[in-house]
Amino acid sequence: MLRLDDIDLIYNAGRVDEVVALRNLSVTFERGQFVTIVGTNGAGKSSLIQTISGAARPTRGRVHLDGRDVTRLPDHRRAGWIARVFDDPRAGTAPELSIEDNLALAMARGRARGLRFAVTARRRAVMREHVAGLGLGLENRLADRVGLLSAGQRQSLTMVMAALSAPSVLLLDEHLAALDPGTTATVLALTTELVRELGATTVMVTHNMDHALALGDRLLVMSRGRVIADYDGTEKSEMTVGGLIDRITGAGDAVSDRSALIEKVA
Amino acid sequence: MIQVLLDMLVTGLPLVPVFLGIYTVFRLRADFDLTVEGSFVLGGAVCALTLVHGWPSWLALLAGMAGAAAAGAVTALIHLLLRVPVLLAGLVMSIGLFSVNLHVLDTPTLSLGTEGTLFSGFGSLSGRQADLATSGVMAGVVAVVLVAFGLFLRTELGLALRATGVNARMARSQGVNDRRLTVLALVLANGLAGLGASLAVQYQGYADVNMGGGTFVAGVGAVLLGELFVRPSGSKLVRIVGCVLVGTLAYRLVLVGALRVGLPAGDLRGVTALTLLVAIAAERYLGALGGLTRTLARTARSARTPIRQEAA
Repeated sequence: MLRLDDIDLIYNAGRVDEVVALRNLSVTFERGQFVTIVGTNGAGKSSLIQTISGAARPTRGRVHLDGRDVTRLPDHRRAGWIARVFDDPRAGTAPELSIEDNLALAMARGRARGLRFAVTARRRAVMREHVAGLGLGLENRLADRVGLLSAGQRQSLTMVMAALSAPSVLLLDEHLAALDPGTTATVLALTTELVRELGATTVMVTHNMDHALALGDRLLVMSRGRVIADYDGTEKSEMTVGGLIDRITGAGDAVSDRSALIEKVA
Repeated sequence: MIQVLLDMLVTGLPLVPVFLGIYTVFRLRADFDLTVEGSFVLGGAVCALTLVHGWPSWLALLAGMAGAAAAGAVTALIHLLLRVPVLLAGLVMSIGLFSVNLHVLDTPTLSLGTEGTLFSGFGSLSGRQADLATSGVMAGVVAVVLVAFGLFLRTELGLALRATGVNARMARSQGVNDRRLTVLALVLANGLAGLGASLAVQYQGYADVNMGGGTFVAGVGAVLLGELFVRPSGSKLVRIVGCVLVGTLAYRLVLVGALRVGLPAGDLRGVTALTLLVAIAAERYLGALGGLTRTLARTARSARTPIRQEAA
């Protein structure tokens, strides 16, 4: 179980350029829950993700993961339990390193790194098995630089890396945003499959209202650093894209072009 | 000609560990550490001092390495505690270390005499044979260093080090402690500088407080030069050590050649700067050429193994 208690996240506190990213935020994610989050730019979605991952330390409040207080642990110390996939496909992998080096880096997540060889024959076999499931032929290109891969391939690889150490929380921060429609469908299918396989508590931020409604078993709407709506599975299944956009604009936020455009198409 | 090559080896081989350290920070970590200008001298000074006090040559070598590594640790502390860039921390250290080095040596130049160094046994040999034996011993040390470094890069720790320089955010999200690796990289890089300096001091028979000037630029130049011949990348570890070895020797060959054609020693820094410029220019100019050969190689490879490419 992942619990956020009364979180404030304030940048430049007390100065003229003070930014309140999260305000009085309390939310509990049950173990294995798949939660989607929508909201306009600046609503605090990414700040929420950063607070969970440890990349940002809240100004006030506590973060509890499976009964332990992890508020003061920096992101690299939480990495054993929490896996992240970023919005930028280039952010989740090291382009100059080979595919197998990237995977080996993920395999050592949550353990002390020592002087054992990072890539061994046995680990390579495990890697092959994992990337073969992608159906991209990457299992035959383990020594290739990740920089040679397309955005979709890299994002798929990042998903595999996130899953390698069986995390208890999976954070997806607009991980489909930079992909073209065809690739989006592929990575989306991979996402649902992976989430089911892992059974990890999953928090997915998205700008795409369709995805927000179609995926997961709970939906949060954020605005100005707060959660303004919290729909469970049944409420979510009765919700429409139009209704969701009304809920966001009702809070006084303008829906971004990207989200609005999707509605017109739909 | 053979003498030119021997000169290249005896003056170049001690620099290989030094430039390997510079590669570690400059390429693997994508950062600049100027500490090396001072830590190189500190390593040499500590080695000279311990030798004068009768330490065995191998122990003095390690002492020099440890002294310089300690300087790297201080730079890392300044960087982490005062939150200043490594570049600035190193600059401060390189200036401050001059005084430290002067205190360690107690004189601007400390002579070792002819006994007790790694190369003392070769005094009775003729000039050329002595050079051959000297470069043989040096090559042995350098080979151990290069192999050990290459193996280290293959470990989980070495992989984490390589990853932090390429994508620090990703490395942290994979559980890598960036700050600890900064310390490790700086300690390692400066330790290697101290080792190289100790080799140089034992060969030349004295330590001088000014012997470190220009080390950083020379190292960067050698790395760029090496990259022209050997194209290293993050996961091509043999190429990484190969690049440093080839680059260092090529750089020394240029300097030795310059001396041979009669340039005064005072012009060597100018030649070093020119070498750096030429290497950068060649990288820019020949970059297109390199790109072309890479594309050809890739086309050839993908023709052999058909790969399902995804639209992107």
